[in-house]
Amino acid sequence: MLRRNALELWVGLFVAAGIAALAMLAFKVGNLTTADVDGAYRVTAQFDNIGGLKVKAPITLAGVRVGRVARITLDKERFRATVEMQIDGRYNNLPTDSSASILTSGLLGDQYIGIEPGGADENLKDGEAFQTTASAIVLEKLIGQVLFGKASEMNENSNKGNGKK
Amino acid sequence: MNTSPSGSRDALVEIRNLRFSRGERLILNDLSLDIPRGTVTAIMGGSGSGKTTILNLIGGRIKPDTGQVLVDGISVPDLSTRELFELRKRMGMLFQTGALLTDLSVFENVAFPIREHTKLSETLLRKVVLMKLETVGLRGARDLMPSELSGGMARRVALARSIALEPMMIMYDEPFTGLDPISKGIIAKLIRELNRSLGITSIVISHDVPETCLISDYAYLLGDGHIIGQGTPAELQKSNSEYVRQFMDGLPDGPVPYEYPAGDYLQDLMEEAA
Amino acid sequence: MNGMVRTLGRVVVEGIERLGRAGLFIFDVVRGTAELRSRFGLVVQQIYAVGVLTLLIILVSGLFVGMVLGLQGYNTLVKFGSANSLGLLVALSLVRELGPVVTALLFAGRAGSALTAEIGLMKATEQLAGMEMMAVNPITRVIAPRFIAGVVAMPLLAALFSAIGVLGGHLVGVGLLGVDAGPFWSQMQAGVDFYGDIMNGVIKSTVFGLVCSGIAVFEGYDAVPTSEGVARATNRTVVYSSLAVLGLDFVLTALTLGEV
Repeated sequence: MLRRNALELWVGLFVAAGIAALAMLAFKVGNLTTADVDGAYRVTAQFDNIGGLKVKAPITLAGVRVGRVARITLDKERFRATVEMQIDGRYNNLPTDSSASILTSGLLGDQYIGIEPGGADENLKDGEAFQTTASAIVLEKLIGQVLFGKASEMNENSNKGNGKK
Repeated sequence: MNTSPSGSRDALVEIRNLRFSRGERLILNDLSLDIPRGTVTAIMGGSGSGKTTILNLIGGRIKPDTGQVLVDGISVPDLSTRELFELRKRMGMLFQTGALLTDLSVFENVAFPIREHTKLSETLLRKVVLMKLETVGLRGARDLMPSELSGGMARRVALARSIALEPMMIMYDEPFTGLDPISKGIIAKLIRELNRSLGITSIVISHDVPETCLISDYAYLLGDGHIIGQGTPAELQKSNSEYVRQFMDGLPDGPVPYEYPAGDYLQDLMEEAA
Repeated sequence: MNGMVRTLGRVVVEGIERLGRAGLFIFDVVRGTAELRSRFGLVVQQIYAVGVLTLLIILVSGLFVGMVLGLQGYNTLVKFGSANSLGLLVALSLVRELGPVVTALLFAGRAGSALTAEIGLMKATEQLAGMEMMAVNPITRVIAPRFIAGVVAMPLLAALFSAIGVLGGHLVGVGLLGVDAGPFWSQMQAGVDFYGDIMNGVIKSTVFGLVCSGIAVFEGYDAVPTSEGVARATNRTVVYSSLAVLGLDFVLTALTLGEV
């Protein structure tokens, strides 16, 4: 049986070490920042198509991560997707006319939301919504557009050719 | 039968028509006895006759099937947990093995009930513990650990612990079993002296006839789940009852049979092994 | 045939009886913990016995597990040109699964069996009965502190396991195998989510703590008070705790990943 003081010292060290390990995991291994802990606020945006956007996807501005996607729901009346976003409290000066677009990281990577700042005087506050949004680019539609464009171009050329004759 | 135990004293513990069974085995059958205040009363009997069960019933650790158990007028089986704990503070119990807490020193063991139930200051507590240890002659052993004690010493420490809260009665479960003659003598002396000096009531469960008869004022003999003999030690020595004689004289065969029930001897031998 | 069916029935009935006893017992223990607010010293003592003394095996195991993850992970990832994701692989494996589960298994083997043996022996030497007769509730004084200590110590031990495992992975990956330190940490930080992964691991290890401590103290309290009985009880603690941990791990993982 250890002396009372030695015992309490060891237990105190143990608990402190455990909490330190937890903190190390949270901050160095995970992506917790002090701003995540307080001051975060929520804004929403509506999209025609969210593509492969998932909850917890990052939200960036100028390439810097400023928040994450909190919730994705379907607006049954307007048939659009409503995305709820949680933005770090540090970045609370986004102008109200900023736009939110769904972008793809790399060519075939995960999807995320990129914010383009606007120029208005007022800033977005908790509960407000982005007015300008750009939906995800669906690859099939893009290919379809390119093919359609090519097809009509060829058609025009052949018509022109015919017309000249 | 012989003289009643109480005489002019009232009974601290009264047991009436007690019936207790464990599973299908009937252990106590219509048992009645009185423990008079201020005396050393012994309950003797063969192994497995239910002696320890009686102690457990008095202490409220088990409940009887039917019958009454009264301690100081209070019916033990009917108590709530809190009331039972309150009653137990007034009862001391000495277990066969001493039951000391192995991770505490001798001093801490004796101090244990005092710490748990009173708010005595450390200085006062120390004095009380040392006095209790002095009573059993082990004040110098106060810093030893239970693993360093002999059987007799451990039992003495347990005795000091059981008188720590100045109880009104102490129950001794086989206090002499497994001790050398000197230690037996010490324990016997302590039981008798404590009973006198503290003015308490002692119940001694034992099958050690000579030692028990030396210190008891009255004794009960237990067999077949009920009392088969009672009286002062002198009366029991002179008894004519077969049961009492077999026990007191230590006869190998008598009402309590020597042989475990078995079939015909010759037949057993003649049969081929299965 | 008849005998086998009857045996099965008996085993099931006994099992349910035991489960009921265990449930009532745990209820008493939880009630006992409420009374411990003034007896904090008892809990501290047990946290030492259960937490600090298990620390060595946890740290050593964590280090080696992390290092093995580094080796194995590198071996596979490098074939796909994704060696830079090693940090992410090691961290996620540890934080989500290996940390809580391996810690719980090691805990059950070391601290759980020690708890069961200790309590079982106290029962066999009549120390618990002695306490009862001194009007001290053994559940409050002996069982509850050990139970709480287990529940508190487990998440801390799991966090330490994961943390040192990550360092072990770093040691092997960056130190030995030449993975670039930058992406090792940055991919890890990008991919490991605090709420989804780390908090999840903490919740898992807390649940495991409840289960392992509960089983350990119950088996000790319920043991047959002989040396053989205590040995069997200790065995049961390790086996049941391990199975429970692995089974619950599946359930918890399925719940949190939300796929099931």
